[in-house]
Amino acid sequence: MFKSYHKLFLSAAVVAAVATSAIAGDTGGSRTYANGKKVIDGGDTYPVKNGKTSSYFINEKAHKTKFSKGRVPTADEIAAWNIDVMPDGTGLPEGHGTVEEGDSLYEDKCAACHFDFGTGGSGYPALQKGNAYEGQKSLTNQRVDGNDDGPIRVFGTYWPRASTLWWYIKTGMPHPAPMSLTTNEVYALVAYIISINELKIDGEELDDDYDLNREKFLKLVMPNKDGFVPKIDGPKGVENARKYFNDFKNYGNGTRCMKNCFDGKPVLARISGSGISDYQPPISEKKDLPAKKAGSEVPGKKTYEASCAVCHGTDAMGAPEVGNKKAWAAVLKKGIDKVYNNAIHGINGMPPKGGTSLPDDKIKEVINYMVGASK
Amino acid sequence: MNKITKASSEVNVTSETAIEPSRRDFFRKTAAYSVSALAAASVMAPVKVDAEEHKGKKGDPAILEEKKWGTTFGYPVTHNLYGQPSPYEHNVTRRYTKLLSSGNYYASIAMCPIQDSMGIITPNGLFFNRDHGGVAEIDPNEHRLMIHGLVEKPLVLTMDELKRYPNVSRIHFIECPANGGPEWRGPQFPSIQFAKGMMSCAQWTGVYIKDILKDLGLKKEALWMLAEGVDNSHMGRTVPIDKVLDDAMIVWGQNGEALRPEQGYPIRLLVPGWEGNLCVKWLGRLEFASEPFYAKEETAKYTALKKSGKAIQHFYANEVNSVITSPCPDKPWTDLKKGDMVEIEGLAWSGMGTIEGVDISFDGGKNWVETSLKGLVLPKAWTRFSFMYKYEGKPLLLSSRARDDAGHVQPTVKHEREVMGVESVYHRNGIFTWEVTAKGEVNNVQVLS
Repeated sequence: MFKSYHKLFLSAAVVAAVATSAIAGDTGGSRTYANGKKVIDGGDTYPVKNGKTSSYFINEKAHKTKFSKGRVPTADEIAAWNIDVMPDGTGLPEGHGTVEEGDSLYEDKCAACHFDFGTGGSGYPALQKGNAYEGQKSLTNQRVDGNDDGPIRVFGTYWPRASTLWWYIKTGMPHPAPMSLTTNEVYALVAYIISINELKIDGEELDDDYDLNREKFLKLVMPNKDGFVPKIDGPKGVENARKYFNDFKNYGNGTRCMKNCFDGKPVLARISGSGISDYQPPISEKKDLPAKKAGSEVPGKKTYEASCAVCHGTDAMGAPEVGNKKAWAAVLKKGIDKVYNNAIHGINGMPPKGGTSLPDDKIKEVINYMVGASK
Repeated sequence: MNKITKASSEVNVTSETAIEPSRRDFFRKTAAYSVSALAAASVMAPVKVDAEEHKGKKGDPAILEEKKWGTTFGYPVTHNLYGQPSPYEHNVTRRYTKLLSSGNYYASIAMCPIQDSMGIITPNGLFFNRDHGGVAEIDPNEHRLMIHGLVEKPLVLTMDELKRYPNVSRIHFIECPANGGPEWRGPQFPSIQFAKGMMSCAQWTGVYIKDILKDLGLKKEALWMLAEGVDNSHMGRTVPIDKVLDDAMIVWGQNGEALRPEQGYPIRLLVPGWEGNLCVKWLGRLEFASEPFYAKEETAKYTALKKSGKAIQHFYANEVNSVITSPCPDKPWTDLKKGDMVEIEGLAWSGMGTIEGVDISFDGGKNWVETSLKGLVLPKAWTRFSFMYKYEGKPLLLSSRARDDAGHVQPTVKHEREVMGVESVYHRNGIFTWEVTAKGEVNNVQVLS
């Protein structure tokens, strides 16, 4: 505890004095970058010191060398892959589609998963839960003390920017066939989803023949536009994030209490019932063989591997090698029964049954396997 | 017998044809002496173990009886050219549950069996797997990385060209920020694999993005980078420039081999310590811009709604966290006897730095003692902690509390709820507690004091 606090204090004090130098503690960690700014996530960075970053040695020359690999993409190549759509309309193409067209596309391509009117279910997300302006007010709901009404987090009530919906439908939906919708189809589906969320554009609800286009779409202001912290827009966006995450109070930080940290006995919350325990496969710490799949065994293969492969696995010992077509064609010249007979009674260097005590039918099974594997 | 063994080992080791005739001669010679041939051959045949022979002998059959694996050949080197675990380990596997599927198993998650993890490295086949549109199987010859936007010189690289940059290898965990997320309102999972298995840790090999950017001339107004995958979901996420210029990597190696398809083969983004979702798999495109992109997975999801009704967005780092892995519900203490010494072991990690220490409590967090850290202690990596305990067969409430070198300490469940409420879904790092019963069974509980 003291070590940690001491180090924090020390590094803060020294940073104030020498703003540009990174201070490495026991772990080599520093709360500030070389430019004197705090690490953006509220954590540490590990500057290179004596040829190392934390415990890792590095080849400093490798990271000072400028490499010129690859090539400049063509304008068409960039256009083909530049598929994102930003809140200010960057990347949003011209086009249009009506709520009615969207409704019918929705029935065809979306309702199977998201259900009628985007009500969701069976694990698939709902696309609306009634009037979005009303629903947005539910975001302060907490399911505690017997309150079962949680916050409503659907497109209309929660998402800060509408551009996200356009981008996501275009590049991620329909789930089995993304990138298959035309620009006008996306406008139509977006119009339909805006309408079922009862959102207004320029004060106007979207009725069936509302024809949504780029200009109108960019006017849509989402009810929860200001519902997110830190503020990341504009030239100060990154600095706002840095400030937010370096104030640990914003997301909580514990204290290292060691004794009598609360009064009385601990208050416990337990799993209700058996909890979520439908796991595939079921939890097991057993060290056993997996259940065999029916039909997965090749007859004779196991016996071959255990008893015959030592001589027949290669031709080094003069025995016909399994897999060698020519060798086995020669063996089979006098017919399979002769081969069975030779194997059972021995031939040349091979003792009867290869020296095993396998029953005749097992020997035949092995021969069949060996012949089959040498065709 | 010895000669046979020697001859056959020569066959395996040296394959020069020059010595072939002598082996054949040897085989034919032994054939002439059928008695020795029989003796030789029977050595190679499976020995039938006579149970009667061991009747009356005292001791463990595992010791007294001859075993198949000691009396027959194992499989040859030609078998399993890409090695597989022992079939007896088949229960050590990723697992899934219907309740965490998004209607199907394409946008879903398979959990890492952290109850069976050893050390700080997750084998590639057990690394947790979260996808948004199934596991893409990309032909690396047909894959490109494009870097464009606010750079003087946009760039497109083949995978071979990318791998010509000087590489670094780093051990980092990747954790889905929803790890433990279903338990904001109380414990749900009678299993550590499901309560905390949305994470794994590996050694990643790749290139720092800052090393590529030296040649591209990043413009001053570039504040954000979009990273986008080329799989079914085309998932994108926005990364602030600070991380790009610090330790963000494009990785192609995972524990000494190519990334597995489940981890984004051929390449993924790695932003050490940050939300697993930011480590975009099947990476195809990096675009620099002056404004954030507002991708679906950084607005609709991966935002932490607080009691105030405001949600934290761009919640980058996974905060300091820990869990006791032994005992746990999946591996309880039911085999212990009173008086046994037993090691309590666990994992600690912080996306904001290096683990500085871990305390554990036997009474649900009222009183604490410090544990020993064990093995390598690295930034933004799993870290093992260990404590020797004399088992008394008493009921216990076993909790762990980690802290990192940036000054973060794991909060109590109570404190975390005071700050965040219970509807955040993401970034839950409150102190985790196991209830150990008098029989040594282990239950998932939360201490609300």
